[in-house]
Amino acid sequence: MYDFDGMLQKIKDRQWALADVDWGAPGAEAITEAQRPKLRAFMADLVWIENIGARGFAAMAKKAPSETLRQIYVYFHAEEQRHANAELALMRRWGMLEDGEVPEPNVNVRLAIEWLDRYSDDMPLSILGTVIPMLEVALDGALVKFLLDEVHDPVCHEVFQKINADESRHLAVDFQVLDLIGHAPARRLLIQTVGSAASPGVLLGALMYIPLLNKMRDNIVAMGLKEERLYAAMRRFTSVGERGEGTRRVITYQVLKRHAAMVIDRGHPYHRLADFMVRASDHYPRRLLRRTPAWAKELTHEPVAR
Amino acid sequence: MNAVVIVGAGFAGLGAAVRLKQAGIDDFVVLERGHEVGGTWRDNTYPGAACDIPSLLYSYSFAPNPDWSRAYSGGVEIFGYIRGVVERFELEPHIRFGADVEDLAFDEAAGTWTARTADGRSFTARAVVMAPGPLANAGLPDIPGVDLFEGHTMHSARWDHDYDLKGKRVAVIGTGSSGVQLIPGLVREAASVKVFQRTPGWVLPRLDYRRPDWSKRLFRRVPAAQAATRRAWYLGHEVIALGLVWDTVFTSMVQRVSKAYLRAAVKDPWMRRQLTPDFRPGCKRMLMTSEYYPALQRDNCKLITWPIARLSPNGIRTADGIEHEVDCVVFATGFDICKTGTPFPIRGRGGRELAAEWSRGAKAYKSVSVSGYPNLFFTFGPNSGPGHNSALVYMEAQIDYAVQGIRLILDRGLSALDVKAGSQERYNQRMQQRLRRTTWNSGCKSWYLTEDGYNATMYPGFATQYARQLAKLDLTDYSADAPPHH
Repeated sequence: MYDFDGMLQKIKDRQWALADVDWGAPGAEAITEAQRPKLRAFMADLVWIENIGARGFAAMAKKAPSETLRQIYVYFHAEEQRHANAELALMRRWGMLEDGEVPEPNVNVRLAIEWLDRYSDDMPLSILGTVIPMLEVALDGALVKFLLDEVHDPVCHEVFQKINADESRHLAVDFQVLDLIGHAPARRLLIQTVGSAASPGVLLGALMYIPLLNKMRDNIVAMGLKEERLYAAMRRFTSVGERGEGTRRVITYQVLKRHAAMVIDRGHPYHRLADFMVRASDHYPRRLLRRTPAWAKELTHEPVAR
Repeated sequence: MNAVVIVGAGFAGLGAAVRLKQAGIDDFVVLERGHEVGGTWRDNTYPGAACDIPSLLYSYSFAPNPDWSRAYSGGVEIFGYIRGVVERFELEPHIRFGADVEDLAFDEAAGTWTARTADGRSFTARAVVMAPGPLANAGLPDIPGVDLFEGHTMHSARWDHDYDLKGKRVAVIGTGSSGVQLIPGLVREAASVKVFQRTPGWVLPRLDYRRPDWSKRLFRRVPAAQAATRRAWYLGHEVIALGLVWDTVFTSMVQRVSKAYLRAAVKDPWMRRQLTPDFRPGCKRMLMTSEYYPALQRDNCKLITWPIARLSPNGIRTADGIEHEVDCVVFATGFDICKTGTPFPIRGRGGRELAAEWSRGAKAYKSVSVSGYPNLFFTFGPNSGPGHNSALVYMEAQIDYAVQGIRLILDRGLSALDVKAGSQERYNQRMQQRLRRTTWNSGCKSWYLTEDGYNATMYPGFATQYARQLAKLDLTDYSADAPPHH
């Protein structure tokens, strides 16, 4: 059995704060003028992906099968927010943000925020529990590694060392839970998945997720990252997932795995659809976007709230 | 030596004193560790302190007060009422202040109890009424760095009235009954208030009103009218048990009403989500307040639901990585409740220690007597807690039961009136069986349960059932020893 109680205690013991970091320390000049604009867009994406992940964990806390797991998700929710805040603080350090400024989310992120706000609390754990590790592995894994290769600011490295330590705990729990879900009777898995797959929430979720991923890829490529890095990270999702006997029985996992295989295969006709969706979403009428929910307005680069 | 020692001069201890006097037993002392009567109501003086039970019902039936100013009178008025009881029944000469009991032991040969106090005094009596109060000790949360904070701190139950809140940035930790009562006042007074919430509770608006003068005049002239109104309040609360003690359709009704109130009172959907509990009503105490939600939405107030990571010298650090700098931290974190021990060592027959016997959860017979500890009567003993009705209704039943027992001990010259172990065991089996069907034991976490999930606090039923079982002391459940003849 997994020791979730031990994990919760470890999480509580390893808390860190923005105030632990010396944001004024030398090294900010390592950012070149050439890097700056693209790095800004890249960091902005990263911040929002963390915020989206945070909201996902908030939804999972409501579904947690035990009190300990619920508490773990409550922490993960906060920790993803912490990562977003820390990344904002880096942007501020690099002179990319005005005082109190938070970068605007792109339209795909806006759609993701809308979707999360509306549907995430109604999603079953098996769907949330698969999509979240995918986002964490793919985006965090690939993006962060790339960032550390490109950026030579020691503070940046210090911050991401902390973030990575958190993320490794997130992933450990993510995959354990996925395996746990998979050990439920097949009948229940099927009913749950079919029942919710037919919902507009999942359909819209897919419509949101597909272009989000390809948009991220485009931004990464624009930064000079080989898209192979992203695909390697996605492959890791599958390779870790396959280790869990239960995980393989989770239908959402199988779907996401197949999807990941298509994403990785650049020649797959899937990309024609996905790229079309990215272009289409650029034309998504802004007035149809709903007001940004309060949870997406909580981000801050200020280590101390006075 | 006295006939009776009462430990504690709060509501329960003073009530016992009144009833002893009325039963013609004048030879008693009340030991009080503080220098003032009133217990919980002496200690909890934070602005907004009040009782969530209407005053007519949260007062003794044998000491009616026709002059309550409001339906739900505040803490100051309740405290005044308690002092009024002391005056009215001339209890003052019986009270020993500064008597902090450290040890209570039974002398089997003599058939007496001796209480030793911290200042070296000792009091011996034939019988003891334990009234230390369930909510007497302030509980501090288990937060790392709690002693590192360099600003001002106070606990809701130990309010510092000398601290000027004007212009201060204040953090409140805890949103239980105390928290929701004191937050509106703080928001009015302080420059800014940050409310740190771990678990939201179900809130119902409190329909408080100023009592009109004619009703005070009526109650003064026709005491029966007051008794009838009290009765009506009582029965009204009894009905609520159907929703709060057991998980029934009434529980769903309470939940719907509470959700509707939240919807009406809080505009922002995310804030509503933060304030929506994920347990059934009844699992934890209902929060009765009409001022809390509006206060949370004031410009100078902020609700924070991130877990607290630690306290730092300047403020509170939450798990989202942010430090909240404040001048003062208010701990509205409730009370340390003795569920697995006793407030001080209690030694019964053959030197047995009650704390050891209760280490896995307290057990008693009808919440009042414990086998092996003769002539000792508990108020708010194990499984006597009300979740839906006035604590004083329960208290009156306990006190009158104790007075019956004491009467027996004194009249028959008993050296030991001790409940039989078998009777106690059977009683507890029934209790735990009935508790299994209640909301409290349905898998929710609350201060009602021990770490292992054992419920040693709540009574699983109506107040009427509880009082009825205590109406008559049944001697067949007790062994009554006469003193050895010399």
